[in-house]
Amino acid sequence: MITAERKPLEELMEYIKPFKRILLVGCNECVTVCAAGGRKEVGLLASGLHMAVLKSGATIEIREHTLERQCDPEYVEELVPMIDGVEAVMSMACGCGVQEIARRFKNKPVFPAVNTKFMGASERQGVWSERCQGCGDCLLGMTGGICPIARCAKQLMNGPCGGSTGGHCEIGDDTDCAWALIWERLKALGQIERYVEITPAKDWRPGGGSGPRKIIREDLAE
Amino acid sequence: MENFEPVIVAFCCHYCAYTAADMAGSQRLTYPANVKIIRVPCSGKVDALHLVKAFEKGADGVYVAGCLEGDCHFKNGNVRAARRVESVRKYLEEIGLEGERLEMVTMSAGMGYRFAQVATEMTEKIRKMGPSPIHLALAGGASEARQAANI
Amino acid sequence: MQKQQQVSDKVLVIGGGMGGIRAALDLAEAEKKVILVDRDYTIGGLMTQLDRTFPTNNCDLCTLSPNLSEGSRQEYIELLTMTTVKGIKGGKGNFTVSMETAPRYINLDKCTACGECYKKFPQCVRFSPGLDHRAPTCMRYPQATPQAFSIDLAKCDDVEGLMKCCPAGAINPDDMGRKFEVTCGSIILSPGGSLFDPSHLDYLGFGQQPDVVTSLQYERILSASGPTMGQLVRPSNGQQPKKVAWIQCIGSRGLQKGAGAYCSSACCMFALKEAIVTKERFHDDIETTIFYMDMRTMGKDYERYFLRAKNEFGVRFVRSRPHSILREEGAENLTITYSCDDKSANITEEFDMVVLSTGFRISDEVRLLAGKLGIDLNSSSFPVTDPFNPVATSVPGIYVAGVAQAPKDIPETMVQASAAACMAAADVAVPVKAEEDREPPPPEFATVGEEARVGVFICDCGENIGGVVDAGALAEFASQLPQVVVSELKGHGCSRQSMREIQESIRDNKLNRVVIGGCSPRTHETKFQETVRAAGLNKYLVEIANIRDQATWVHSNSPQDATAKAKDLIRMAVGSVIRSQPLVDQSLPINKDVLVVGGGVAGMNAALQLADQGHKVYLAEKTDKLGGLAARIHTTIEKGDVQTYVKDLIARTEAHENIQIITRALIVDHSGMPGLFKTGMQTGKQMFYRQIEHGVTVIATGAKPNRPPQYLLGENAAVSTQLDLQALLAEKPEMASAWDNVVMIQCVGSRDDENPNCSRICCQSAIKNALRILALNPEARIFVLYRDMRTFGFHEEYYQKARELGVIFVRYSREQPPRVKAGDGGIEVSFTDPVLGRELIVAADHLCLSTGMVADEDGNSELAMLFKLPRTADGYFLEDHVKLRPIDLPIPGFFVAGTAHSPKLINESVGQALAVAARARTMLASDTINLGARSAKVDKNICAACLICVRSCPFSIPFINAEGYSEIDPAKCHGCGVCVSACPAKAIQLMQFEDDRILAKLEELFERTNA
Repeated sequence: MITAERKPLEELMEYIKPFKRILLVGCNECVTVCAAGGRKEVGLLASGLHMAVLKSGATIEIREHTLERQCDPEYVEELVPMIDGVEAVMSMACGCGVQEIARRFKNKPVFPAVNTKFMGASERQGVWSERCQGCGDCLLGMTGGICPIARCAKQLMNGPCGGSTGGHCEIGDDTDCAWALIWERLKALGQIERYVEITPAKDWRPGGGSGPRKIIREDLAE
Repeated sequence: MENFEPVIVAFCCHYCAYTAADMAGSQRLTYPANVKIIRVPCSGKVDALHLVKAFEKGADGVYVAGCLEGDCHFKNGNVRAARRVESVRKYLEEIGLEGERLEMVTMSAGMGYRFAQVATEMTEKIRKMGPSPIHLALAGGASEARQAANI
Repeated sequence: MQKQQQVSDKVLVIGGGMGGIRAALDLAEAEKKVILVDRDYTIGGLMTQLDRTFPTNNCDLCTLSPNLSEGSRQEYIELLTMTTVKGIKGGKGNFTVSMETAPRYINLDKCTACGECYKKFPQCVRFSPGLDHRAPTCMRYPQATPQAFSIDLAKCDDVEGLMKCCPAGAINPDDMGRKFEVTCGSIILSPGGSLFDPSHLDYLGFGQQPDVVTSLQYERILSASGPTMGQLVRPSNGQQPKKVAWIQCIGSRGLQKGAGAYCSSACCMFALKEAIVTKERFHDDIETTIFYMDMRTMGKDYERYFLRAKNEFGVRFVRSRPHSILREEGAENLTITYSCDDKSANITEEFDMVVLSTGFRISDEVRLLAGKLGIDLNSSSFPVTDPFNPVATSVPGIYVAGVAQAPKDIPETMVQASAAACMAAADVAVPVKAEEDREPPPPEFATVGEEARVGVFICDCGENIGGVVDAGALAEFASQLPQVVVSELKGHGCSRQSMREIQESIRDNKLNRVVIGGCSPRTHETKFQETVRAAGLNKYLVEIANIRDQATWVHSNSPQDATAKAKDLIRMAVGSVIRSQPLVDQSLPINKDVLVVGGGVAGMNAALQLADQGHKVYLAEKTDKLGGLAARIHTTIEKGDVQTYVKDLIARTEAHENIQIITRALIVDHSGMPGLFKTGMQTGKQMFYRQIEHGVTVIATGAKPNRPPQYLLGENAAVSTQLDLQALLAEKPEMASAWDNVVMIQCVGSRDDENPNCSRICCQSAIKNALRILALNPEARIFVLYRDMRTFGFHEEYYQKARELGVIFVRYSREQPPRVKAGDGGIEVSFTDPVLGRELIVAADHLCLSTGMVADEDGNSELAMLFKLPRTADGYFLEDHVKLRPIDLPIPGFFVAGTAHSPKLINESVGQALAVAARARTMLASDTINLGARSAKVDKNICAACLICVRSCPFSIPFINAEGYSEIDPAKCHGCGVCVSACPAKAIQLMQFEDDRILAKLEELFERTNA
């Protein structure tokens, strides 16, 4: 899932300063699951902004709406009846959602309420960590199911660096060394021979280095 | 705002705090009428949203009252509530309200005196802090709120 | 036709006081048929005349009245008022009882208790209690059952006019009464006690001086439904008294002419309560003084109540028995003459009012009744009961409960009533369930999608609400609220009359939501839910605004604040109820097995009773054998053989096919809900884990003998506790017969800072052991150093006997305790004699300490944690209601018996164990358990299947189903709402506590503030 975190209130206040009526839009997908922009967070933020504005001596009206998925135009279409009554939109979805709203409503300012962070998994309730960087050329099959690109600070492709100690990365004890994990995993799989295979230099182009990426399914595209 | 009488919302769990409040009644203990109780089955039921909404609507103080640690009838709802209160306090600070306006307290069903004591202390504390800026803004319009916020 | 030898399926309960009602309800709830007879025209007995009861100082009516209406509604109970027992034939299993009902001259089916007859012909309408015979209403109390009047035809000179004035046509002057016979399998005798009449004691001035009243009369003066509408005034001049005195032991402890030899047990607390309530009303504007001999506050937490009276309320205590109450010629005030320890001369003091704390006695009527029943009576005319079964009389099948058994207070009466119900139930056949005996409630009318039409009903609850705020104005205020169609003032909303009116209003005004402004939903929600349901409204469409317990009771010092808060609470309730939705209860089959924790006398008795009634009982005992503390005791003060009794009890328990004994059981976990519990324990030497499934849990874990390291206990062989001493007296009597001087010190480790409560049993232990020593060596000198001798009930007679036999009782004060040091071959005890005012030294061969009992702190705290049970400050388990539900614990399905509840004597523990069995039966009689409707419900259309509910549920109930959204089984959901508050999609709602209802409350609360 895509993870995100709410921006500081102070930053959001700057965005909405000029407006008296805004629409706060949540998304019921990834940002709900990572507790950043679902219906509940929309409510909390609306209240928080409202109070902060009141406290500053101004007034504001904040309407709330949560879409099933902000990155699909059909769902965004739901906002049409609401959009005329507001001066600006603030989105609690990931960057995809924000841009979808911007695309649909050309003359409404739209602001992100969250910082989109990474593609990750939930370790346990309330803790998410990065697992994938969308490099476009998955090599998890070679690395025992652990991604050295997303999980190694240096994105090393052929074993750990000298900073790996006791299974931890040198950036901090709470970060596992991806290569230590790969080693344990390959050992468990009885595939340690893979560890010594040299991976050639990675072609980073499928990862987006050459402009925005696009997927077209001929059979589905209309 | 002279003679300021704060409005305080107490979310009380049915098994302990609400029962303690009734107990305070049957023992005829007095406490300030500023405290208004909303009954919930467990303090773990109290939604962060409801805490924030209470302030948004003008509460000067809010507290969540649950069972003593280890006594929750649903294992650990009170511990969850305490964590939630802690995070909402931080959020209140971010908004620009004093986090101390929100509290988590615990008591057992038999502690009528503690209920009265907490209600009294909370009222006194909030009275000293003065009205919540939101309360002021809602009541007196923007200008007073501006004064309160020293702008 | 019924054959003679067939066992009857009915229990006859004689006496409709609190005890009789409790017994009848327990039997009815356990699906036994009951005939409840009372000679009075309403049931309720003595308690309905009280203003408030100790130690909570609650008004009783509010807690009592739901019980009473329950009493009249129960389909298993046949209520016969104004009825007396004339004779009896047969025996256990098949009694034939002849009875007579006096004419009421009112048709019960027609009377609506409108009060027209009383308004027009007050002299014709019967009314009995207290002082001036005309209270503002002639119903004896506002929730009287049956809710109907009674006519005294002899006093009526215009019968025709009387008949005409009744709009219901209920008056029937031709009522002849009737004589009839009933058959029953067992009988519970609970006629209550009467109070000692001090009229013949001219030195007390009662009957001549209007300001000398009995404690019950004083209670009526304080009572909101009493003759002065709750105004405390002097009967002589209608002024507020400034100085009130109570004189204890009137008619008790063999003091006056005609007095019982026993202690009446309840009067000390009664007087304390009246003094506290008086102080609460007038604070420093009134002086209260209690003249007493010994303060006997030996009940659970009663000592704290005594201390509160003394320290917080400033009630003055004078240890003296005044010799006269006089009024000087022409004087307005009364003069009490008394003497004190510290002064040699008589003291005279003036008072405005004097209250005589009159004790209990058995009325002639009850004595005659006992004669008809053929039961043996003791020298004070109380029934003789089995030494190890306080409710069993000398006639099999006849049981006795309450004050008629021995003087006692309300909680003890409630315990005995349940105990008697347990015994009586075992003697009768199971009634055949009639198919159509339950009239189904009317179908619920549809409310979904309809605009809310709210009815608001505000109780004044007598003085409780109406005395602080203008309840009528609250009703007026509520009528202005949006969507409120009707708003009315109801006196006592919980009275049958009001309930009927509410139901009529629902029908007449097409109400689909109801708000009650009254007491706590904790106590009354079920009642009002049933009320609206009977009118065809879904029971979850009613909400209670707690304007009593959480407004008028706590803000009585500021009616203005109380009013504003009550308005807020009502508006919040209206806002919330508008958003309520009809719900359906969940139910599951109940597990009928029982877990009894603790294998002492209480545990075994409860286990045996329940096992006899067909329940599988698991008896878990911490140690390796049954018997508990009682196994160490040899005899009771009445010379009951405890050893034989306990051995027999163990043998019966071990042999019972329905009882499984688990020794060395250590309870380690517990889960589930009432009716469906699971408890895990490690058992046996190997500590094997096993889990037991059961429907109810009985806590009978006992208490520990106290052994505080005081007065050389544990250091010197000549110092023992009473428990050690009684063993020594039984096992090595030759040792004791050599003693010349024995000193006993009372209250060691009790009534001090560490353990402020009284241990209840030690005074009688001391007397028991002193008498035993004297039997061994009549020449022995025994000194008992005491603070108050608390030989309550019939123990008083043993106290008097000990004094006659020469035991020397010397009082000491807490500030000046006796001092002890080891001497040559004995113990030197020095103490101050308060009468001589001198220090005395006794060289004792033996020093015995009355150390009493303490709660098993380690064991109890562990169990309390596992079972989520509250405890008192001194570590005993805390019951659900200290007055009316003394053995039900606050968690449904849990009951407490024996010394786990508080210190008590063996026969009291047995009584409680029997009572627990009866209370457990009321739950286990049903085949299903109602789980209510409070459960979490997922909106599948917005659930994001994020798993947060799955992870946060404390009971692991939610799961993501095959359709990809979270599913929560309402039958398994515990209804805590943790998942609801955690759900980031706001896809879960907790029924009854939906978010929009909580937000509506906030909205309504702040509407006023921000307006």
